[in-house]
Amino acid sequence: MILVFGEEFERDVTYELVALAKRLGDYKVVVSEDFDDIDGDVIRVERLNWKVVKELHDRFKPEGVLFANAPSGMDLAPKLAGITGIPMVTNVIKLENGDRFKATSLTYGGKVLVDLEVDKPSIFVVNRGYYDPNEGRGTPKVERLDLDFEDDVELIEVVKPEEDVDISKAEVVVSVGRGIGDESNIELAKELAELLNGVVAGSRPIIDQGWLPKSRQVGRSGKTVTGKVYIALGISGATEHVEGVKAKNVIAVNTDRDAPIFRIAKVGVVADVNELLPVLIEKLREIKS
Amino acid sequence: MRIGAIVRIVPDLVMGIEIEESEIVPFKYVPNERDEHALEEAVVFKEKTGGNLEVVGIVDDELRDDEAMEEALALAYAKGADSLKKIVLNRRTFDRREVARAIADHFKDYDVVMVGIQSIDSFAGYLGGILSGVLGYSYVGGVVGVDYDGGLIVQKELGGGVVGKFRVKTPAILGVVSAERPITFVPLVKLRQAMKEMKVEEIEVEVPDMGGIEVVRFYEPEKPEITLLEGDVEELADKLVEVFKSLSLV
Ligand SMILES: Cc1cc2nc3c(=O)[nH]c(=O)nc-3n(C[C@H](O)[C@H](O)[C@H](O)COP(=O)(O)OP(=O)(O)OC[C@H]3O[C@@H](n4cnc5c(N)ncnc54)[C@H](O)[C@@H]3O)c2cc1C
Repeated sequence: MILVFGEEFERDVTYELVALAKRLGDYKVVVSEDFDDIDGDVIRVERLNWKVVKELHDRFKPEGVLFANAPSGMDLAPKLAGITGIPMVTNVIKLENGDRFKATSLTYGGKVLVDLEVDKPSIFVVNRGYYDPNEGRGTPKVERLDLDFEDDVELIEVVKPEEDVDISKAEVVVSVGRGIGDESNIELAKELAELLNGVVAGSRPIIDQGWLPKSRQVGRSGKTVTGKVYIALGISGATEHVEGVKAKNVIAVNTDRDAPIFRIAKVGVVADVNELLPVLIEKLREIKS
Repeated sequence: MRIGAIVRIVPDLVMGIEIEESEIVPFKYVPNERDEHALEEAVVFKEKTGGNLEVVGIVDDELRDDEAMEEALALAYAKGADSLKKIVLNRRTFDRREVARAIADHFKDYDVVMVGIQSIDSFAGYLGGILSGVLGYSYVGGVVGVDYDGGLIVQKELGGGVVGKFRVKTPAILGVVSAERPITFVPLVKLRQAMKEMKVEEIEVEVPDMGGIEVVRFYEPEKPEITLLEGDVEELADKLVEVFKSLSLV
């Protein structure tokens, strides 16, 4: 039996986990919020913390446990592995059931895949975007379980980010990564964005440096861009970044022709962004005038 | 307040790696970026609480004298760590359960331990979370800020830019994703001085063999067919302008 722990804060990935569980065998899905269209046996608990996870794990003795590579899954999965000592695989993009599990994990910033064979029982933290959430939808059979254990971690407040522009809705996003090198080069990206009637955004290191505000972060912890064009300048294409790139056309500029960002790009440009941008901007200016 | 911070080294992806079926061969190692954030946050927390900060490097035996480990510890010293330790794992392992069990005994005397939420070379566990399970400590990952008001208040990313504030019982392990301030830059002169002055207690530990995960092969992900433009910058700019035109951007 496969035990799925739904993602507390990002509901959609729960459906992806269910889609995967369906392929692996019998399964139960544990959630702490109302879901009225999960396919299969659903266990509704008041809250999802490690004590509830441990209790249900001991009760059902599953051969495999699935969590999402997302805020609550990343906390609960390793805790369970630490307590029980059972094997744990992260960044899973493919999983098959047999005498042992066969898992594929995407690692080294998206540059390497590793095929693994894993003994049962085991724990898998699954990346989003690899299983069709629609396959996880259907009719639930809900059982409520009164498992309300106090936790050593208690949520006291949820803080929403301050917005200046909503990059998720912009048609054209010019996004800068660490490859831009220096803060002053962001001006070039801003200029390009202006010429293309777009907005400027960035990867996590750019926001962490304070070079752009948090509202401009693209990726798992930031926004998902869904517009027409996403231009990635000096961005490697780590999993957590590309999770937030759902634009129709991705154009990437990178000095490394093996950069993972090229795997989601329509057009890839192998170049030094700081050499390319001034020339490109000049040409666009000429056209505009 | 007894604060601990863990620093590890990982292959430098900028220098590149060689992907062989049985192993990944790095050309060079660098401090793990998320641990650098954990260290920065630990320094911030020391400033906030006036606590004592001990920084612990964790490294495989074969890399015990690697420059990157020295650098990670020297950075910690230069930033104000009160003491430094280096835990040397007697055997290389990718399995974080094994690392957590090997080092657990050395993490019993802290109120708070900060560690990077993940390292770029991991595929078998997250060290901080597993260690918390082994020790029976609280755990929060995705940490972007830590405060103290007599108890621990931790800011954790919940996705989409939303942050949750959590009250966390100590002892606790915190998996840091980003420090609340940009990582402070340590000039080379100061780093060199730190390397000379710092005293590092070395501890060797046995890594247990827990089995259960077997690597079949490492390989590169397939590259889908895309239009890849290479060459002279002038030419590339012209081609990009054409691409922009085809998308009606200009
Ligand atoms: C829990 C968690 C959540 C995360 N959330 C996010 C998130 O929301 N968003 C996000 O972006 N990241 C997120 N990350 C971080 C993510 O893992 C990567 O570290 C990050 O995306 C890397 O940013 P980057 O591509 O700008 O930098 P790097 O990975 O350092 O890549 C820089 C790239 O620039 C290229 N380059 C260098 N010089 C040049 C040049 N002169 N011209 C052109 N190219 C050049 C290099 O070849 C490289 O590919 C998260 C990580 C964790 C653990």
